[in-house]
Amino acid sequence: MTEDVQKHSVHTLVFRSLKRTHDMFVSDHAKSIALDDESHKLKMGVKLKADYDAVLHLPILKEGKDRASHLSGSMEGHQNYAQPGEDESVTACQMCFQSLLEGGGTRNSALMRRAPTMPKPQWHPPWKLFRVISGHLGWVRSIAVEPGNQWFVTGSADRTIKIWDLASGKLKLSLTGHISTVRGVAVSNRSPYLFSCGEDKQVKCWDLEYNKVIRHYHGHLSAVYDLDLHPTIDVLVTCSRDATARVWDIRTKANVHTLTGHTNTVATVRCQAAEPQIITGSHDSTIRLWDLIAGKTRATLTNHKKSVRTLVLHPRQYTFASGSADNIKQWMFPDGNFIQNLSGHNAIINTLAVNSDGVLVSGADNGTIHMWDWRTGYNFQRIHAAVQPGSLDSESGIFACMFDHSESRLITAEADKTIKVYKEDDTATEESHPVNWKPEILKRKRF
Amino acid sequence: MSLTSFLPAPTQLSQDQLEAEEKLRAQKSYSTALVASRREPPPYGHRKGWIPRSLEDFGDGGAFPEIHVAQFPLEMGRKKKTSNALAVQVDAEGKIKYDAIARQGQGKDKVIFSKYTDLLPKEVLNEDAPGLQKPDEEAIQELTEKTRAALEKQVSQKIAAAMPVRAADKQAPAQYIRYTPSQQGVAFNSGAKQRVIRMVEMQKDPMEPPRFKINKKIPRGPPSPPAPVMHSPSRKMTVKEQQEWKIPPCISNWKNAKGYTIPLDKRLAADGRGLQTVHINENFAKLAEALYIADRKAREAVEMRAQVEKKMAQKEKEKKEEKLRELAQMARDRRAGIKSHGDKGGEDSEARERDEIRHDRRKERQHDRNISRAAPDKRSKLQRDQDRDVSELIALGKPNPRSSGEAQYDQRLFNQSKGMDSGFAGGEDETYNVYDQPFRSGRDMASNIYRPSKNIDKDAYADDLDSLMHNNRFAPDKEFSGADHGQRREGPVQFEEDPFGLDKFLEQAKQHGGSKRPSTSNRSKDDYHDKKRRKE
Repeated sequence: MTEDVQKHSVHTLVFRSLKRTHDMFVSDHAKSIALDDESHKLKMGVKLKADYDAVLHLPILKEGKDRASHLSGSMEGHQNYAQPGEDESVTACQMCFQSLLEGGGTRNSALMRRAPTMPKPQWHPPWKLFRVISGHLGWVRSIAVEPGNQWFVTGSADRTIKIWDLASGKLKLSLTGHISTVRGVAVSNRSPYLFSCGEDKQVKCWDLEYNKVIRHYHGHLSAVYDLDLHPTIDVLVTCSRDATARVWDIRTKANVHTLTGHTNTVATVRCQAAEPQIITGSHDSTIRLWDLIAGKTRATLTNHKKSVRTLVLHPRQYTFASGSADNIKQWMFPDGNFIQNLSGHNAIINTLAVNSDGVLVSGADNGTIHMWDWRTGYNFQRIHAAVQPGSLDSESGIFACMFDHSESRLITAEADKTIKVYKEDDTATEESHPVNWKPEILKRKRF
Repeated sequence: MSLTSFLPAPTQLSQDQLEAEEKLRAQKSYSTALVASRREPPPYGHRKGWIPRSLEDFGDGGAFPEIHVAQFPLEMGRKKKTSNALAVQVDAEGKIKYDAIARQGQGKDKVIFSKYTDLLPKEVLNEDAPGLQKPDEEAIQELTEKTRAALEKQVSQKIAAAMPVRAADKQAPAQYIRYTPSQQGVAFNSGAKQRVIRMVEMQKDPMEPPRFKINKKIPRGPPSPPAPVMHSPSRKMTVKEQQEWKIPPCISNWKNAKGYTIPLDKRLAADGRGLQTVHINENFAKLAEALYIADRKAREAVEMRAQVEKKMAQKEKEKKEEKLRELAQMARDRRAGIKSHGDKGGEDSEARERDEIRHDRRKERQHDRNISRAAPDKRSKLQRDQDRDVSELIALGKPNPRSSGEAQYDQRLFNQSKGMDSGFAGGEDETYNVYDQPFRSGRDMASNIYRPSKNIDKDAYADDLDSLMHNNRFAPDKEFSGADHGQRREGPVQFEEDPFGLDKFLEQAKQHGGSKRPSTSNRSKDDYHDKKRRKE
């Protein structure tokens, strides 16, 4: 039976439906909705299964008893119970559960998370010796490569600074002026200057257009062991055996800051444009990160057990590595958070150098060179080059090493008075030199 | 049917629930208990007249502002001796901040690593992880600018002393500040609500010398507090490794300051004797062998030689014996021959024997005469020996002239039949009767006594010695004092006239046979008186 639908206005229709709804529900407006048992049960079951499934069958936790291991055990439990198609809610619940149990303490990500998949080290071709340059009459102590990659400079224990052509290895120039061993050389990439420092407390600035010394930076009280130039500011930083590092203004020769704090010889110094701008490593086995503006220590890293003789900053990453007789350690900027140990080179490490490809080279006092993959710490090559004929076998030691600016040649300054140049072996492939990566599995080996 | 009925009971109550429970408990205890087991402060509103006196009265909280009494919850606020104890601090999650000790002198923003987790290696991140990226260029440039400015300021301050004096630089002194003080009223600021302040930078005198002396040497200030040492715990020492590092005590081979007595094996322990192998040259063995061989050979040679000689000697002896036998045979034959001629020649044989003896003696005498004629001065060996003294002969080891084949018998053994007195001589020890004959029977005694002849000086002074002697030409007029007036000797030993009369004394002693006492003799008395007289 069809009825004629009364034609009302929209307003009327809406108002009427409103009224009807109001009448229907006004009586039990405040009352809660009656629970339908069956539907409720169903809802509960589904919700439990979906949200709290993993939590249902847990054993009772005991307070304060070996939380870490238990957590890992519980993690295992988690894995067992997790459904193949894990959704976010489960992980969220896991997180909640964790937070409940831990009481909100700081979490150690390494322990909490699942054991990470082992990172595979990147394959690097092995390096081989391809040139030996002899000409110095004493140990070759330091190396610097010119920004244009045409020549490089070496400072030696025979008190001379020699400039060699990079491509051919021929001697171009010999500079004399130091009274004792030349311990550090640096070439400025903003002005035609060469800086050198020696064990005679002198820091000299050579003008390369005239090949003469134009400035002396006077102030160190003892042998100056290393120097570095700031990449963006015209400032030179030198470090010395008098346990200080000094910051010099290049133009005015003024000693801007004296960075004190170390208690023993400061063996190495590095400068960078980002914070912290100066990093020093010392024979008191600490590394200090300095604030250049204030001239004060920002952080002290005391992880090393033996003298820190060398530092190197990664060219692209915001990390650096320090070398000492016990270990090579990698750290993160800007606070110096410890990343990992590179252990295996059991010798006094005199020098480190790093490549853009992630090749870290460590040269030791006994003449051995270890090549590492920066990211994983895998030692993929060990080289011990033979000494120059005429030298004793004990006269093998590496004092400095540096990559040239093309990162294809490694130049090392050695104790048998030679300079050795290494290059990558082109004929090697991944199959001929396989990666033999045996890291510590799961738990990081406890010391 | 609530969710809580399905889920297991929570193990940790949330903060709200805890508070609620405590409140309930407090109310209950307040209402029902006669004596409160735990001293809780009364709840807000019920505190009239109540004064918190002890530490527990404050419960969990602090001072009560509505109670107008000096209160020191947790002993805070009391005037006490300064202690450098740090207050226990708790971080946002409720854990106690233990590194407050390491952060004592530093600002709270300083980066200090003190936790165990800072020591653990972190997970190897991918190369493009965000944490590993350098800050972007703008940030770096900004930092560079800031640093450069700061360093410039520092440098200019340092070299300001060297810079020439310039005119004072003008600062625009046009800073005005509007200031609304907090204390307002009619009395302050003469009623005005606000003040305007004009800030001008003080002019620096360009000619001013430095204000402070910087040539003083002052001791360095204390260093910044040391950073916590983040070393991995030291490796465990195995027993084997500890044994390897054991150093034996030093026992010197030269000094022993405390004078310890140490057994020899300890003294030589550090010598390294057991470690070296002694290398002996093999030539030593060769030498020894060669010596043995040489010795053996020499012995053999000597033996052979001796044997040969013995044989030779034996042969000679045999020959001699043969000869003697022949001679004896001849003699026997002669005798037998003679005898066989006839026994009447017996007397002739005696005469012949006497003749033979005389012949022999004549021969000897002739022989001696010949020798003495030939070399009168040259003595024969026998004569030489005869002239020697007994002690010399004994020293030279010459054989006793009497030592012949015949046996020597002790004289005391002879004449044993004489009786007790014989031989043994009655037990007297003083008799010297070992030898029956003198060694040299006085034949050369005479020659041994020195008897100078008158002509002893013949060769030196010729024959007219007497005339020379009695020549007074060389006698001095004045002689030396203390010169000896001794006369010339005439004999070997010139005896003086004895001043003490000892000769006579001895003669008398001999005469009287030693029976009379010498003191009774007159002579001696006279001597004694003589002596006395002389003294007087």
